[in-house]
Amino acid sequence: MKRTTPLSRFGLHATLAVLVVWSVLPFLWTFQTSIKFTRDVAAKEPVLWGYETTANAYRAFWLDADDVNMWSVLLYIAVVAAICVALGQTGRRVRHGWPWFAAVALVIFAALWRFPKIWEANDEYDFLINSIVVTVLTMIISLSIGLLAGYGLARYTGISGAVILIIALGFRALPRTAFVLPYFFGAKEIDDWLTRTGVGSWDFPLIDFPGIDTLQILDTRLAIVLALVAVNQPFTIWMFRSFFMEVPKEIEEAAMMDGATRLQAFRKVIIPMMWPAIIATGLFTMLLAYNEYLFVRVLAPTEWTLPVAIVSLTGGESSRTITEAAAASVSITLPIVVVIILFQKHLVKGLGAGAVKG
Amino acid sequence: MNRRTFWGFTVPSVAVMLLLMVFPLLTTVWLGFQKLLLRDLNNPEWIGFDNYRDLLSDPEFWAAFRFTMVFVAIVVPVTMVMGLCTALLLDRVGRGRSIYLAALLLPFIVTPVVGSLVYKDLFERGGLLAWLWEVITDNPFAVNSGNVKWLIIIQAIWNVMPFAMITFFAGLQTLPEERVEAAAIDGANFWRNLWHVTLPHLRVLILFVGLITIMDMYRVYDQVFVWTGNRFTDAHTLQVYNVRIATAFDIGRLGKGNAMAVLTVIGIFVVLVPFLWRSYKDQIAERV
Repeated sequence: MKRTTPLSRFGLHATLAVLVVWSVLPFLWTFQTSIKFTRDVAAKEPVLWGYETTANAYRAFWLDADDVNMWSVLLYIAVVAAICVALGQTGRRVRHGWPWFAAVALVIFAALWRFPKIWEANDEYDFLINSIVVTVLTMIISLSIGLLAGYGLARYTGISGAVILIIALGFRALPRTAFVLPYFFGAKEIDDWLTRTGVGSWDFPLIDFPGIDTLQILDTRLAIVLALVAVNQPFTIWMFRSFFMEVPKEIEEAAMMDGATRLQAFRKVIIPMMWPAIIATGLFTMLLAYNEYLFVRVLAPTEWTLPVAIVSLTGGESSRTITEAAAASVSITLPIVVVIILFQKHLVKGLGAGAVKG
Repeated sequence: MNRRTFWGFTVPSVAVMLLLMVFPLLTTVWLGFQKLLLRDLNNPEWIGFDNYRDLLSDPEFWAAFRFTMVFVAIVVPVTMVMGLCTALLLDRVGRGRSIYLAALLLPFIVTPVVGSLVYKDLFERGGLLAWLWEVITDNPFAVNSGNVKWLIIIQAIWNVMPFAMITFFAGLQTLPEERVEAAAIDGANFWRNLWHVTLPHLRVLILFVGLITIMDMYRVYDQVFVWTGNRFTDAHTLQVYNVRIATAFDIGRLGKGNAMAVLTVIGIFVVLVPFLWRSYKDQIAERV
């Protein structure tokens, strides 16, 4: 039994409140900078309340035109969000929810695709799309190969399994520069070879992507995705392995007794039990890809994702104002906040699982 | 599971790690022995250990090394203690816990460069804390080479504390209630309870968080780069220094940068090898 007196409860909440302020103060400050007029930001004494609010900074950062009513943009986002929530909630209630979740993805895709057709968007919008493409591709590739390897490593008892795990653990600790510099060099060499031999400008009838006429590696989203998948592998296989270790062997053995092959047992019996693990690992992979800065800066000089865009556009020499920088910071943070609030439980469980076995 | 099935399952992942981790790492070692300029990548020239000699006689390398050591030595212990205290507090909260959790997690999940940017805003001209400083001390506040180190350290603590907190918090959830009750019946007060029951329970986690935090702070790049850019060279960590010498416009020396990466890797392995060895023994023991 925990004894709590009103006084100690007050002290507890007061201390936590102080910690919360220390955590979120910079965000609150940035948020209110982003909705101020420049004259209030430049004031000698900070204007803390009673100021006039505006969405000018958001418009200037994301849109080309400067006469768009930002309420209409907000309404657009709100409607899309409402549809997604409705679909997602339905998906959670019904037994086989995946078509509903697929519909959520489809709605988001359609909304992102329509947006620049309704309002003229800036280059920054392309960087947002880059961010999303890189994050989604990294998650798909990284999770699928990691899931297979994690299962193999959890069930195999030979020495080579232990060796792979330990080497992966070592890789987990290495600094980014040990990889990004050789990636850059290697990609450059391959690109040189592609132009020298002319292979890069061959016409491949089957992989004729729109908008791509020469094959190259540097400065493509593919380069970023490959790099991220690689550095994420050690973490992914350790995480999945620790989740698979909790699933008793007998479950798939029973399925195999009934005549299923191992792959069938894995797909039909084990995977459906692993959704919490997949979501938890997926969240960390998402954060890694969405937040990456160094790889993108070195490997993709123009195909930026949002973090690089923000740092480059708000640096000293750029003409962007403080309010625009703040608006950019808020815009890039909001999606993560939403995802984390939705999946908080999985995140905590995932950290716990990874840590206890770690 | 037999050997064949095992390799069937692991081959994609192992191939990715061989091709994009083992092979690049060997390339790093090889490039470290080359004279190779960023603007002229086609003419590598073997120069033996010259890059390393160059690095070890560079005062900026030693400045970066010193600052990184100080940085790790301050950030890691403070983070762990603060994380543990916050986790203990959170554990006692009944209602409203998930709201606290979400708010406290924010600095950890936010994009690191954005975290630094918003933190920096508080100290820029017209920022809230810069203004408070001016009100209290009567001196205007400006980020300079003297205080930027402290700002970087404080911001790093702000950034990674939630990781320690959430991990310890997850660990506290698995603490069996009976152990605490038994201790309470024996008349243990809060501190004795903490020392004899809670901390031993968290022992493995403390080691884990400590190790991860040391690794992550040793190789910190994003957050520090936002504060310093290419200025304030005193406050550069090893990684910032490394990226600067390798990719800085016009003077980028890729060979030297790779040599530096090799030195950093060796540095972390000094800490890591005993731990890796122990994990290997554990893995082997699990298999017999």
